[in-house]
Amino acid sequence: MSRLSPTPPILSLLPALALLPVLISILISFHNGGATLLWEFICAAVHPSIQAEVVQSAFRGIQITFSTALLSWSLSSIFGICLGIASARVVWETFLGKSWPATVIRRLLAIPRSIHELLWGLLLLQMVGLSPWVAIVAIVIPYTSLVARVVSDQLDTKDRRALKGLKQAGAGSSSALITALGPAMGPVLLSYVGYRLECALRGATVLGVFGLGGIGTDLQLALQSLQFHDVWTALWLLAAVMFSLEQILSLIRGYFKLSKNGIWQITTILIVLLILCALSIPWLNAVDIDLGEPLHWSPLPLPTFYELIDAIHTLPWIQLISSTMLLTVLAAGIAIGTPPLAMMLWPSQLGIAIQRIIWGLLRLMPTPLTALFLMLFSKPSLAVAALALGAHNIGVMGRLLKEGLDQQSDNHLKALSAAGAGTRSAWLYGCFSGQSRSYLAYAAYRTDVILRETVVVGMVGGTGLGWQLIESLGSFNWAQVIVLIAVFTALTLIGEAITDRLRYHWTGSTKKLPMVVDLQS
Amino acid sequence: MRRLLEIKGVFVHSIRGNRLNDINLSISSGERVALVGSNGSGKSSLLAVANGTLLPDLGKVIWKDYSTSNLGQRQRKEIGTLWQDLRLVEELNVAQNINCGALANRNLLWSLANLLKPIELNACSECLQKVGLSTSILSAMVSELSGGQRQRVAIARLLRQKPELILADEPLFSLDPILAEEILHLFLDNTMTSDMGEERTLLMSLHQPSFFRHFDRVIALKSGRVVFDQPSECLDDEALALIYGSA
Repeated sequence: MSRLSPTPPILSLLPALALLPVLISILISFHNGGATLLWEFICAAVHPSIQAEVVQSAFRGIQITFSTALLSWSLSSIFGICLGIASARVVWETFLGKSWPATVIRRLLAIPRSIHELLWGLLLLQMVGLSPWVAIVAIVIPYTSLVARVVSDQLDTKDRRALKGLKQAGAGSSSALITALGPAMGPVLLSYVGYRLECALRGATVLGVFGLGGIGTDLQLALQSLQFHDVWTALWLLAAVMFSLEQILSLIRGYFKLSKNGIWQITTILIVLLILCALSIPWLNAVDIDLGEPLHWSPLPLPTFYELIDAIHTLPWIQLISSTMLLTVLAAGIAIGTPPLAMMLWPSQLGIAIQRIIWGLLRLMPTPLTALFLMLFSKPSLAVAALALGAHNIGVMGRLLKEGLDQQSDNHLKALSAAGAGTRSAWLYGCFSGQSRSYLAYAAYRTDVILRETVVVGMVGGTGLGWQLIESLGSFNWAQVIVLIAVFTALTLIGEAITDRLRYHWTGSTKKLPMVVDLQS
Repeated sequence: MRRLLEIKGVFVHSIRGNRLNDINLSISSGERVALVGSNGSGKSSLLAVANGTLLPDLGKVIWKDYSTSNLGQRQRKEIGTLWQDLRLVEELNVAQNINCGALANRNLLWSLANLLKPIELNACSECLQKVGLSTSILSAMVSELSGGQRQRVAIARLLRQKPELILADEPLFSLDPILAEEILHLFLDNTMTSDMGEERTLLMSLHQPSFFRHFDRVIALKSGRVVFDQPSECLDDEALALIYGSA
C-alpha cells in the first residue's frame, strides 16, 4: 500500500497538468497588442456583421460545406458498411470457413484510415487540381475505412450462438448471417453513422480553411484580415447548423429507438443515405459547384529509390517525431484532463451550464482557426499548436463526459452529500468515479484521433511532421512527402495499437468503441 | 434523553398515492429503533426524509433544531446512512471507500490524495477490524468482494464517518439467516458506541420479527402511516398481524 496506485478518476484528472507548461509558454510569448485583439474578438461575438454581402457569403459557404459533408458522409457510410461486412471475420468464416481474407482487407484498410482527410485533400489537390471532388474524396477515403472498422468490429463481437444454431438447422450462410447478426447491428449503425455526419461537417470546414471552399474559407479569410465581426457571422451560422444537426440526429435516434426491428433500421438507414447522396449533388450545383467539371489529372511523379534514401537521410527525424509525440501528449492531456477538472471545480448547475456553452464554442471552432487565433497574440510554437488542438478536443470530451454523467444514477452523489461531503469531493467520488473508467477508454480512442490531427495544427503551428509535410509539399519534394507519409502512417498505426490496449484495459474489450456505446445508450 | 430527530406532519406524495402520510414521530439520543412494515409501506422514504435526501411535500423534519431541508455540512455528517444498495464506489479499493466516510471533515486536496494513494490507513484498518474483516483486504477493489464483505465495508465506511444517528435501510435484506444475525450483532455490538464512549442512535428498517427484541422500540408503517409505535416487548402476534396483514 506504500506505492502510488492512482485510480481511474485521478488518472482522468492528472493529464490536465499539461495545461501548465502550455499556458506558461504562451504567456511568455504573449506580445503587445494581443490583449486588444483578444478583446476585439470577444466583443465581436455579440456584434456579428449583418452586412448583406457578408451574410450572403457565409450562407453560401455553409451550404457548400454542408452539402459537401452530406455527399461525402453518405458515400463513405455506404462504402464503409459494405467494406465492414467484407472485412468481418464472422462473414468469411460463415461462407468459406476461413478468416484470412478478412484480415487482409482489414490491414489494407488501416492505411487510408491512418492518414488525415486534410492530407488526402492536399495530395488530391496536387493530382487533380482545384475541384469540388477533392474535398469530397478526401473525406470519403478515411471515413469509409473508419466506418468499415467499426462495422467489422461490431459484427465480430456479436454472440455467435444464434448463428451456429441457424447454420446447424440448415439455413443458408446469407440468411443465417442476416437473421442472427443483422438485428443487433441496426442501433450500432444508427448511432455511429449519425455521429460521422457531425465529423464530416467538421472535416469539410477544416478543408475549407485550407482553401477548398465553403464556410472554412470564409472563416480563414475573415480571421487573417482581422475582420472579427465577419468571423462571428460565419461562426454563429456554423453553430446554428451544428446545433440543428445535433438536435435532428438526437430526434432520429429517439424515433428509431422505439423500433426494435434492427433489419428495418438498417434498410431505412441505407435508403436515407442513398436519398441524401442523390439530393446533395443538385444542392452543390445550386450553389454553383459544378461536379461535372473535368478533372485535370496529373499523377504524382514517383521518386527514385536514391531520392527516397536521400530524403530519409536529410530529414531531422528525431526532432520531427519527438515534437509530434510531444504535441500529441500535450494536446491529449489538455483535452482529457480539462473537462473533469472544470466540472470538479465548478460542479454547480450554473457552472456546468457555462462550461457547456464554452465546450460548444470550442467544438465549433476548427482547430487550424483556433491556432491562427492564438497566433494573433502569441508566436507560432508547439504550445500554440497543442492548445489549439487540445481546445477543440476539450469540446468533444466535455460533451461526452456530460452526456455520460447525465445518463448515470445520482444515488452515489446523494449518499455522499447526505454524509456531509463537500460539493467538489461529492462530485469527484459520487459522480465522476462512476464514469471515469469509460471516460478513460474514450480518452484512449481520442488520443488516437489527436495524433492523426497533429497534421492539421502542425502545419499552422510550425511544428512536427505536419509542418514538415506542408513544407515538402510546397517545394514539390515528392520523395520527402512519401517518406513523411509513410512515417506518419506507421506512427498512427502504432498509436492505434497502443490505444487499443488501453481501451482493453479500461473496458475489457478492444472492439468495444466507447463512443458507439455511449451514443447508443 | 435529548430529542435528536423530529418528524412533524410529513407527507410525501407520489403518482401512486402518498408514500408518507402525516408522519409524526421523534427519536431521542441513544435509542435503538426498528422500522418495520411490508414492502412499499414507506420505510425507505421515511429514512430518505430523515437524512434529507428526500424533501417532504408537507411537514417538517428537524435534526437538532435544524430543518433537514437546509442542513449544513457539519450537521449532515452527524447523520450516517447505510443504504440498501450500499452505494460503494466500485472504481475504488476498500481503503478508499472507507475514507469516503471522512470526506465531510477533509478538503478537496485530501480527497484527491486519497484517489492517488489510499491515506490514513490506520484509521481505515481500525474500522475494518471493528466489522470483523482482515486488514489484508484494504487494497482489494470493492468489486472483487463477496456480498457479506461488501456489507461490512459499507458499515466500516459508516464508522469512519462517526455519525450520531445511524439510519440503516434493510441492511439484512438478501442475507441468509446466519449472516443476517451476524451482521445485526456486529452492528449492535461494535458500531453503537462512539470513540468517546457515547451511545449512538439507530433507526434500522428490517423484516425479521425475531430480531425486534434487540431494539428498544419498534415503529411500524403501513401504506405510509405509522400504525404501531411502542417498546419492542409490546410487539405481539396481534400487532404483527396488523402490520403485515392485508386488512
